[in-house]
Order: sequence, then structure tokens, then C-alpha cells
Amino acid sequence: MPYSELIKNYDNIREYMREFYVYGFKSRDEYTNKSARSYDDSRRRIESWLLESMSFRNTSDGKTVFISMDSRQEGPNPLFKSWKAKSFTDGDITLHFILFDILEEASELTLKQITDSIDRYSEGFCEARVYDESTVRKKLREYEQEGLIVSRREGRTVYYKMCPKTPLPSKDLLRFFSEVMPCGVIGSFIEDKLDPSDPLFRFKHHYITGTMDSEVMLTIFTAMRENGILTVTTESRRGGTNTSELIPLKVKISSQGARQHLLAFSLKRARMISCRIDHITKISITGQTDLLPGARKKLQSMEKNIWGVTVGDHIEHVEFDVRYGRFEEHIPARLQREKRCGKVTVIEDGLARFEADVYDCSELIPWIRTFIGRIVRISFSNKRTEQQFRDDLTAMYSLYEGGPDAVQ
Amino acid sequence: MLFSELYGAYYNCVADLLKIAVRRPVTSSDIVRISKAKGFAETALALQRAFREEEYKLIRKDGTTPVTKEPSMPLTTLQKMWLRSVTLDPRFMLFGETIEGLEDVPPLFTSDDYDVYDSYADGDPFTDPSYIENFRRVLDAVRNKKTLEIVSSSGRGRTGRIVFRPDMLEYSEKDDKFRAVGMCADGPRVVNINRIKSIADTDESVTRKPAPYKNDRKVTFTLRDTRNALERVMFHFSHLQKEVKRTGKSTYEVTLCYDKDDETELLIRLLSFGPMIRVTSPDAFIDLMRDRIRKQSVLFEN
Repeated sequence: MPYSELIKNYDNIREYMREFYVYGFKSRDEYTNKSARSYDDSRRRIESWLLESMSFRNTSDGKTVFISMDSRQEGPNPLFKSWKAKSFTDGDITLHFILFDILEEASELTLKQITDSIDRYSEGFCEARVYDESTVRKKLREYEQEGLIVSRREGRTVYYKMCPKTPLPSKDLLRFFSEVMPCGVIGSFIEDKLDPSDPLFRFKHHYITGTMDSEVMLTIFTAMRENGILTVTTESRRGGTNTSELIPLKVKISSQGARQHLLAFSLKRARMISCRIDHITKISITGQTDLLPGARKKLQSMEKNIWGVTVGDHIEHVEFDVRYGRFEEHIPARLQREKRCGKVTVIEDGLARFEADVYDCSELIPWIRTFIGRIVRISFSNKRTEQQFRDDLTAMYSLYEGGPDAVQ
Repeated sequence: MLFSELYGAYYNCVADLLKIAVRRPVTSSDIVRISKAKGFAETALALQRAFREEEYKLIRKDGTTPVTKEPSMPLTTLQKMWLRSVTLDPRFMLFGETIEGLEDVPPLFTSDDYDVYDSYADGDPFTDPSYIENFRRVLDAVRNKKTLEIVSSSGRGRTGRIVFRPDMLEYSEKDDKFRAVGMCADGPRVVNINRIKSIADTDESVTRKPAPYKNDRKVTFTLRDTRNALERVMFHFSHLQKEVKRTGKSTYEVTLCYDKDDETELLIRLLSFGPMIRVTSPDAFIDLMRDRIRKQSVLFEN
């Protein structure tokens, strides 16, 4: 097969996109689980789609390729383009436009009428392309499933017509929601129907890494809507895989860490679990369940103890006090707006306390560290976590104040 | 199905070319222009070959087409379901639009199916009528390049009047807030939509050009990949322009580009990674890190 900038299977490109965008330091030789040709073709395709955002660097290990961009600066999410690169046959694209041309003005037509009409479209070409009735029927059925065409049976005859057209919302509305809603690439597909215009919106703290997981996300939402059971295969950090049956309950999206998790009830383990969506390599709906409402209710009762995405069996307590000055009211205000399931109390002028009961208090540590320089007291019920926190502070001090790795 | 040629760049390009071809013969420059706008780097070449060799029997060698009407495809069920979800979002009201034809369409997802768990609690009141009114006035001004007279309060509660030309609306998912980014007579200005007290059109004009967003500050740090720090840091800063170099078996050098107005925010975000990262330049940023850590050390000693 000659090289094409289009691809048949998105899974083949998903990991390359993530590697180039999120990491961007690997050279060609380090992509060990793929062939050199697969790497070269994938790199060339991604360059073709994202030309303006691609960068290169030559290192002693070879050339590294990476996607370099500030998502606040960009127009529409450029990673959406990868979802617009599905390959097709010459016959597919020809039949597509001919079918819609035939159905555009007709009220409804039979399969035979449609097939007969196709012949006149060969006029002026050196060789005619012939479509038999079964090919046309298959395509019409496919489009019916996509919601583009409706059919009606009268006796043994089936009549086809185009679905009514929905008026499109404004480009600004589509642009905004494409960037902020799950499966936003669908909004981008709709936006493509409109003429280009200058963007009116830009986005700060804008994570677009989830773009590559849009199909996985779509399957999760479909299962939720249909009370489905998902069979999910995930890849662990160490390279192993794990397959489990899950009732999907809620997708947890981080606006600060770019990661998306599925909270689900595991049928095998009979407990709530949390699963990284970008670690899912295979996903399908394999059954139905009536347990979804009950499991969701259970999850709802657990929310008051979920800081991030960890669910568990036992609760840990964490509390800390922060000191702030006379003109630093933004500090207790920060605690209030960032407290999530925690509680904030002003103990006295210039001293505020945060406390929370959560499934895993280590999830709070990165956030607590943002108050470094102000923490006057801290206590974790999990003493190992507390010791880790204190050891890390000592290590940070050493890094900047004369330790062996200190910054000069 | 999400990954489908129906939504593909090539189908979009061919649709646009057929819109021309039903009126007049398509030229090679039409193919280049449309491919550049809606396709990829090699789309123009691929389409030219496909038409020249009659692979797609849609446009003849002379640029004419047997297609008789401008192509237009209805929305797929998937697209309608996504739009239905959009209409259920509280921010939908801000745009003052209705989308007809979705009454019987189930949403792809609802707010019960997902949440953004770490956005701040003091987000904008998207359903408040005066907020909606202010948002629409600003959006209209951005669309139509109008200048506004705005009375708004500052973060410290002071009220002030400005003549302001909003050039863009900026939304932060973390803050869950809209800000208008634009120009006053004395330079660039950012106005929080939720802090607007009153808003009116004005005949005064702001002639200064829009200020482009600048991420011209850089900070460099070394990263030690313990406790999965590499992945956490790379994901956390994935939205910024960055460069990453491997410097050892499990050490990396990372350079981030940022806007100077975001320096304090970036400082605390870097602190959140503890001893896994060590800022190495510039000196001023090292001093900021050192100052916070030194203060903390004193607090724990007492």
C-alpha cells in the first residue's frame, strides 16, 4: 500500500500522538514496540495534520519530534484534526456525494430508483463506476444507522429519504463547547460545515490531551445511557494488561492535571474502582445491568470523601493551618474556593484551618504544597503520609539551600 | 462511530469543491486553497491526483461535475446527541440561541455522567440574568468590534469606570470564569465578566491594536522521575509550550514558556511537585522558590 496521510484505525496513532504531545523527548529508536516503518509513517502523518505545531530537535540519541504549543495561544484544538483523517475507498466517496445529490430534492425513492439514477453520474468520465443494488443498499443502511437517511417499508418496497436538516447553531457557540465539553471533537465536526471566521474565544488552563481518548469516552457515555456493562482492558505503567467488567458510574475530569478517570463498579472485585481513561486500550459494551441506579447512589454517598479520584474502604483525616498577613485575605479566599470536600475555618485573625476526611490523603499533598511558606501546623491520620510530606520538605530545603544537588 | 470518513477532512474538502463545481469548473488553485483551509499538508496533491486519474468520479478532468446541487448533509444522530448535551449545560443560555429539531433526541451525556472535580468553587453565576446580559453585551462587542463603557469592581472591591474595547473572551475551566481581554486607551486590560456592574455602548473609540498573548517568559527545571513524577509533570504542564530533554537514566530538563502575569500561579504549581523538580533558571525564579521553602522551614522549626 502506498503511503497516505489518512489512516484506517485510530488506535494505531493514539499513542504516538500522546507521546509527541505530552512527552516529546523520545528519539525514533526508543519507540521499541513498533516497527521503524510504523514510526516513520505515523510521524509523517502527524506532521501532515499538525504542521504548524510540530517541532524537531537533534540530540546525541537522534532526532526527537514533538508537538509544541500553548493551548491558550492556539485557535481550535489542533488535535481534533487527527479525528478527521479516516481513510475511505474511491467508491465510498463517489457514492456518498451521488446519493445525497439524488436524495436532496426527491421526497422519497426506492432502491431501484436510486440505483438507476446513479448511472447518469458516469457521463463524461473515461470509465463508468458501476454500483450494484446490494452495494447501494448497504450504504443506505449504513447512513440510516448514522441518522442521515430514513426508510419506510410499504409491502415489499422500501422507500428512502434524507433526514430533515437541523439548523446549525452559531460558530462561536460550537467553538466554545467543542473546547470545554467532553467529546468536543463532535462539535468540531459540526463547525466544519460553517465558513471559517476569526476566533472570539481563547482558553486558559486548557488541557487537550483527552482528545485522543474521545472514542473511549463515547463508549463510556453510551454504556451509561444504555445501562451497559463495559469490558475494559487497561495497560499498567509496568506494561501488563488487565481486563475487567465494569458498570460505568461517572467520568471525573481534571481541570488541573489533564487526566480523566472513570469511576466504576467492578463486577469481579465487587467494589468501586477508579480507572485512567487514557490507559484503556480496549473497551466495548458486553452486557446489560439493572445495578446502575443503585451503584450510582452508593457513589453519591461516597462523594463527600473523594478528594480526587480515589475511592476506598477506609477514611483518612488531614488538617493543616496556614498563616497569612493583614493584606493577604486572598489566602483564606483561596482555601475556600479550592477546598472541594474539605472544610475551612478561620481560627483567629490571620490563621485559617483546612480539614478533610478522604479515602486517600496523599491525593491532597500536591495541593497542600502550594501553601509552602505559610503552613504552621499539619497533621495526617496516616503517619506514613505525614512523614513523607515532612521528608519531602527537608529534601526541597536541601535542593535550594546547600545540599549535594543544591541550585547555586 | 466517531472515527468516520463522514466527518473527515477529505469529505469536507470535496464538498466545498463540489459547491464550486456546480457553478463553474473547479481549478487547481481552488483545490489548493480549499485543501489548505480544511485539509492537511498533502491533501491538495492527493485530491488533484484523485480527480486527474478519475479515482473519485465526482469532478471531471475539465473541472465540471455531474453533481447538480450544492452538497449538504444532515447532522448525524451522534452530532445531534452532542448538541442536545450542549443545550443542557448552564453556559448554553449565555449565547441566547435555540437549536431546533432536538426535542426528541436523547443527550449523549448529562451532568450526572461527568464532573470537573477540581475547578474552583467561586465560578461565574452562568444562570444569573444580569450576568447573562453582561456576557451577551461583551460577546456582541467582540463580534462587532464595538467599544464599551464599563463600570466594574476590582479584586479589592474598588469600583472604576473604563472605556474598553473587548477583543476576545477568555474562559478558564479551572477558574470556571469568563474574562474579556481587550484594550483601553492606556493599554491592555482584562475584565472579569462577573465583576461588571454596568455596561453601555459608547461613541468613544480605542484605536490601539489588540495585544497578542505573549508566553515569552521561560523557566527551566530538572525533573527526577520518582513516584511517577515524569508523567504527572508532563500531563500537568501539557497545555504550555515546552521542551523536554532527557539528561540521565531518570532525569530530565524541562523548559516551560509562560505569560509573566501567571508567574505566581506557576510558582505554586511548581512547588506542588515537591523535591521531584528543582528550578535551575532563571535566578529570579530560583529565588522565589527558595524564599517560600525557607519561610516554610522557619515555620516548622518554631
